[in-house]
Amino acid sequence: MDLSGKSYKAFLERQEARKKQFSRKQAEKQHSKGKLTAHERIRMLFDSGTFEEIDAFVTPANQPVEFGKVERTYGDGVIVGHGKINGRLVFAYAQDFTVMGGSLGFIHARKIAKIQEMALKMGSPIIGMMDSGGARIQEGVASLAGYASIFHNCISSSGIIPQIAVIMGPCAGGAVYSPALMDFTFMVNHTSYMFVTGPNVVKEVLNEDVTFDQLGGAEVHAQKSGVTQMIYDDEENTILALKKFLSYLPSNNVENPPVIADDGSTPDVNEKLRDIVPDDPNKPYDVKDVIQLVVDRNSFFETAELFAPNIITGFARLKGKTIGVVANQPKVLAGVLDIDSSTKGARFIRFCDAFNIPILTFEDVPGFLPGVDQEHRGIIKHGAKLLFAYSEATVPRITIILRKAYGGAFIVMNSKSLGGDFSFAWPTAEIAVMGPDGAVAILYRKDLAESKNPAEMKKELVKKYRDKIANPFIADELGYIDEVIDPAVTRKKIISAFAALSNKWVKVPARKHGNMPL
Amino acid sequence: MKINKILIANRGEIAIRIMKTARLMKINTVVIRTAVEPNAMYLSFADEVYDNTADDSEIPVFLNIEKLISIALKTKANAIHPGYGFLAENAYFAQKCLENKIIFIGPSPDALYKMGNKTIARKLALNNGIPMALGSEGNISNEEEAVAIASKIGYPVIIKAASGGGGRGMRIVRKSEEMEKFFMIASKEAEKSFNDPSVFIEKYIENPKHIEFQILGDTKGNIIHLGERECSIQRKHQKLLEEAPSCALDSRLRKKMGNMAVRIAKAVDYYSAGTVEFLLDSDRNFYFMEMNTRIQVEHPVTEIVTGIDLIEQQIRIANGEALKIKQEDVKIKGWAVECRINAENVQAGFAPDPGKIENLSLPSGQNIRIDTGIQAGSSIVSSYDSMIAKLIVSGKDRKEAIKNCKIALDKVWIKGTKTTLPFFRMLVRNHKFQDGSFTTSFIEKDLDRYYFNSEYEEMLAAWLATKLFVEENLEEDSIQIDFENSKVMSPWLLNKRVNQF
Amino acid sequence: MNDKLRIKKLYALSSENRKFSFSIPLKNKIRIGKRDYVVQLRADEKHGTYILWKNRKYPVEIVRSRQNKYEILFNDISYTFTVETPFSLQRMKVLNSKKGKAEQELLKAPMPGKIIDVLVREGATVLRGEPVVILEAMKMQNEIQSPVNGTIKSVMAKANTNVMKDDVLVEIKVE
Repeated sequence: MDLSGKSYKAFLERQEARKKQFSRKQAEKQHSKGKLTAHERIRMLFDSGTFEEIDAFVTPANQPVEFGKVERTYGDGVIVGHGKINGRLVFAYAQDFTVMGGSLGFIHARKIAKIQEMALKMGSPIIGMMDSGGARIQEGVASLAGYASIFHNCISSSGIIPQIAVIMGPCAGGAVYSPALMDFTFMVNHTSYMFVTGPNVVKEVLNEDVTFDQLGGAEVHAQKSGVTQMIYDDEENTILALKKFLSYLPSNNVENPPVIADDGSTPDVNEKLRDIVPDDPNKPYDVKDVIQLVVDRNSFFETAELFAPNIITGFARLKGKTIGVVANQPKVLAGVLDIDSSTKGARFIRFCDAFNIPILTFEDVPGFLPGVDQEHRGIIKHGAKLLFAYSEATVPRITIILRKAYGGAFIVMNSKSLGGDFSFAWPTAEIAVMGPDGAVAILYRKDLAESKNPAEMKKELVKKYRDKIANPFIADELGYIDEVIDPAVTRKKIISAFAALSNKWVKVPARKHGNMPL
Repeated sequence: MKINKILIANRGEIAIRIMKTARLMKINTVVIRTAVEPNAMYLSFADEVYDNTADDSEIPVFLNIEKLISIALKTKANAIHPGYGFLAENAYFAQKCLENKIIFIGPSPDALYKMGNKTIARKLALNNGIPMALGSEGNISNEEEAVAIASKIGYPVIIKAASGGGGRGMRIVRKSEEMEKFFMIASKEAEKSFNDPSVFIEKYIENPKHIEFQILGDTKGNIIHLGERECSIQRKHQKLLEEAPSCALDSRLRKKMGNMAVRIAKAVDYYSAGTVEFLLDSDRNFYFMEMNTRIQVEHPVTEIVTGIDLIEQQIRIANGEALKIKQEDVKIKGWAVECRINAENVQAGFAPDPGKIENLSLPSGQNIRIDTGIQAGSSIVSSYDSMIAKLIVSGKDRKEAIKNCKIALDKVWIKGTKTTLPFFRMLVRNHKFQDGSFTTSFIEKDLDRYYFNSEYEEMLAAWLATKLFVEENLEEDSIQIDFENSKVMSPWLLNKRVNQF
Repeated sequence: MNDKLRIKKLYALSSENRKFSFSIPLKNKIRIGKRDYVVQLRADEKHGTYILWKNRKYPVEIVRSRQNKYEILFNDISYTFTVETPFSLQRMKVLNSKKGKAEQELLKAPMPGKIIDVLVREGATVLRGEPVVILEAMKMQNEIQSPVNGTIKSVMAKANTNVMKDDVLVEIKVE
């Protein structure tokens, strides 16, 4: 081909024109807000030189405009493509706020839909970096249709490839459903927000004054609504964390997650585990101390840390292999289950199940949170979600009972009767229908009422109950748990149990899908 | 010796201190193990350990008189040493010991009672001509009375409002000519602020030093003093550093104050070890404050400069022996400084920082004495005090002692809790401390820095923070994917997964 | 290695706003004047973790770390640093200039109960998610966590007192 010829020249001119579009001035505008540009984000996310952009020259020029004016820009405000992240193929799209405010028009949406379809065909994870002013009003209904196609693709891919949303700017109105439909949402603090109706409308309709941050900032979603699972104080940390997070996940629902070379630095037997649960059953401890000693050193990546802190969820590794961890947290609300923690746990478990990630559960739960508020808001159906999720999961499931395991909560937390594969208990475990105080109050109500010194009598009965029933030995003898173990060997036991379960296969019943309580 | 077994009703470093001397005197000791610290260091020094870990009562055993007596009887200990704190100054406890024929290693119940009651103690001091900070016994009704009482007390005096504080209705008067004027001003201000013009007058001791004298007395009426300790380095009335002797005293003043200390002790027929506290003002006038009827935390500095083992003396005295040491035998040689190293966070206002001591390395040497109840692996528990160790350093004079202290402090290595080490490192380099001109208000008023760090320490810490950041975030490409094992899946499983839908 | 990130410099900002800059890749050397001195992070049984510098060992401990914030106890003195890249430093300046008056966060009791322990004092820094108060309610001990990064402006909660729902426990000045 003649490199000085007309066709090659035109090719180069076009390249130049597009480069000019992403001027330094535009980048500075983003930077002045403390944000990176879409290009910078992509560059940071992917292994250098591996990102291939698709549809870079697509423009909305020929789109019908209902109202106002639309600029002819290459790319239509979104970068889509594929590349390698830590050596593995991943698809991504990053909305470009510097181009028409990153607004979603028909072409912009079509690009995203295209990359979603590709990711699904290739069985690779997809990442969406949101930074958009919302639907492009100028294009009217066509932009709405654009959103719909994106949502539809999210749903078609759900449970087949991991989908991760990263909110790095505004994401409002209908746009929020995209992250809501995806598997995990990361958010950058202070420079991003998500809400269905913005503060202006809230002020107009309800006369309530609220800032963007207060209504839908990262902290709000991480702590109150649970819409976001991971938040970071700046973009670089967010992207670095995202890359780390991806290393725990498989590319699709048929493959296993990548195995990381294990440096062998975590001891399989650790006596420190014996000192964590206090002797006093009413004293709390941090279950993360247990998790850190059992999984591979530094491999625990917590998700949704700030939401429902009475239950811990996250990924970890055992000898380099990914597992999902669910644990009751005794130092928050004594580790009870409530609406938020049931929902948090259930969603996490279902993700693990969809993607063949084995689940390790640490149990220390005294029951469900009592109260009118919980009952009226439906703890019944929300608690049932957790039960459903565990029971439905066909991945290997192991439970370690650390301390309390009472009543309904005991059943819910992956008991053997729900199909849990192995249940181990520490000697400090108390497995019972009900805690000692409650049980004694009911069983000996009459005797206590007639006693001269009820407080003293109750104290003695509680001690007797605890000695007799609230320990794991009965459950062990009846086969409801598999073994009472020395806490020091927990890691060793779990690793060999999961090894035994590595080929676990359970046929799911032939049905469209169950009717999970929602 | 009558005393053949001592029950130590205490824990930590003082328990070990007592046991060290008891061992030298070939007397058996028994200590108590508590549930709070079942593996404490002091337990391994005793000949016998009484296990009290099953005790779940609200009252800690060291404050439980009945329990302590019963333990002594059970273990056949015929003497109890209460240490300091807890029940050491409890007259009732001493009485109970007596009734149960257990020798209480300390003063008589009567002395404990009298000196424990501030009113009685002050009256005794007054009646024995001990210099004291006097005050008007009630409110002053007019200027004439004010002038009269003030001249009796001695200027400077301070006028205080009877019904309130906060500096209002308060005036310091240094000259008798100003008394009338200030009296009027103070009354008027008091009336305006508290609706009550009543005021009273007290001796005003300006920027005092806290000087205390160590007393030893026997049951035969012999009482001597062992010189003074300088204890002005205090924070919120807690002593942090003590010295023996004090650079504020010359031998004349020492003799004068020492005699007063002995005199007040004689007024209650005192025996055993005790300490008489004085305030010394900038004009070298001293005023009796109170008497502590126990062995004190800072006793080591006196032991070092006098060469006398105070615990041994206490035991002998309790045993009924007469004091072999005469006043003229007591010689003060050299200088000693004691730093109380506590598990406290200096940067957080000395807030206690309980926790487990992971690593502990304390210096040793000719000039160094360490009194501690903590070893690597010990826990500092909030139910007891936050003391890690007493670092006592000596020298031939004050300058050398401080220099040796500086060197020793740099050799202390404690990891596991925050400590007061940076405070002492600052103190030994502080000019006012070095020249000895500090008073009890030194810590609260004269310091603008509470800790010492040398150049580059902050930069090294910053380097470490950056290193951690780099390791956690920028070295992620070392996520080494084990490609060999990544794609391994048994055909059994792969087949099922693929065909499931 | 990390050319893709193009981070050539990192800044460690102390809580008193002193800035220490280090070039990346991070060397085990620190330059004072014209000389480079080797600095090493080590650990052994006797000393625990320590830093070796100019032939002297300094005890060192990582008290807490969260994302890019670190509290380091160095030779018994505690320092708090935020590690920033050049971009995130600029971002911080932008965000700080946008913030009008200092934001306040009132941490309220989520339910009635008894304060068992107050874990912070005035002036202490807190990180998001860190426990601030232990509240006992319905016989359960509950950690009340800080929702924001910031400094404690005032402490209303007192140990061993009872509180009602929505009583203010601490006031936090948001970072």
